[in-house]
Amino acid sequence: MSSRELEGYRSGQPAQLADVLERVLDKGIVIAGDIQINLLDIELLTVKIRLLIASADKAREMGIDWWEGDAFLSKGNGQGELEQRLRKLEEAAGLPTAPKQESD
Amino acid sequence: MITPASTASLSRTGLGWYLYGVAAADEARAPLGARLPAGAAQQVELVAEGPLVGVASRVSLQEFDESALPERLRDGTWLEEKIRAHEQVLERVLEDASVVPCRFCTVYRSEVELRRFLSERREVLQAALDRVRGKVEVGVKAFIDRDRFAAAQAKQNDEIRQLETQVSTAEGGRAYLEGRRLEQRIAAELEGFRGEAADGLHTRLLAAAEDGLALPLQAPELSGREEEMVFNGAYLVTTDRVAFEEALASLGRDLRDDGVDLELTGPWPAYNFVPEELGAE
Repeated sequence: MSSRELEGYRSGQPAQLADVLERVLDKGIVIAGDIQINLLDIELLTVKIRLLIASADKAREMGIDWWEGDAFLSKGNGQGELEQRLRKLEEAAGLPTAPKQESD
Repeated sequence: MITPASTASLSRTGLGWYLYGVAAADEARAPLGARLPAGAAQQVELVAEGPLVGVASRVSLQEFDESALPERLRDGTWLEEKIRAHEQVLERVLEDASVVPCRFCTVYRSEVELRRFLSERREVLQAALDRVRGKVEVGVKAFIDRDRFAAAQAKQNDEIRQLETQVSTAEGGRAYLEGRRLEQRIAAELEGFRGEAADGLHTRLLAAAEDGLALPLQAPELSGREEEMVFNGAYLVTTDRVAFEEALASLGRDLRDDGVDLELTGPWPAYNFVPEELGAE
């Protein structure tokens, strides 16, 4: 085929940030024990990306626009609070949530 | 985070090593040259250890320090620059060599620790490298244009064509109601088509690839396109990609009339086809 039109698909250049993010941040080998970045942060960033990918509108409504900066990873939060906030976000975005530890 | 106490005290000063990925010593070529991104401010080096090389840069441990990192990760500009640099360094290596990509922010405090990693995990790294040798990852995204889909439906589907005629001949309130019925009918057809198209695409692309998987769909804010994404896949393909691109072109021509456009991304390092975790041994 001589032209892109005839080829039946487009080749996206340059790479979209979203495509880079879903690979560099979410995939690739993780080396337990050697890696300096706190694994909790990686998990949270990954969850945030999933949230955005699953439901960008919802995430935006809730003020999560993470590359424009947000308080999701803010210092001084106890893990309990982070988990609660995470659960709320997951529920709002219609994602399956982790089972609660305490029964209610 | 497991850090020998003796090195932890050094972390606030000095330089560490940021590891982008691992390649075979007999494939990767240094120097990587001038086409490296500005974000990789420090020179990228190939740290050779036996048959493997670590693709790494010296970085300020202060910049990547655990206590400073949460703050940095919230800085969108910093994050985008570093993430793009990570990707571009690996793409440059991929031009000469197969590469096992590391996840973002894999930082060693010293060259000794980096070398120890390369030698202690040699077997599992070698196995990961063997799997991706001569192959690259490509991404395939499919988007649907609702107007073109609706037009295609009107051609193929008698009921929808009739509804369209009714809409165009009706007047006032009735025209509105018929219009709504038509919209709902097309939405229902689209609902079914979306899943079928995604399944069909994945099956046929998988047949032309070594391996593949479906990734989560991206919302328009992320994809940067107005049209709805109906499929997002990653495939491990031979470096020449001929068979895969033929399959993709054929799919693209088949689906275009239904309003579906395909987009190919990559070649990427095989992020989706390396082991997720190399546990401590």
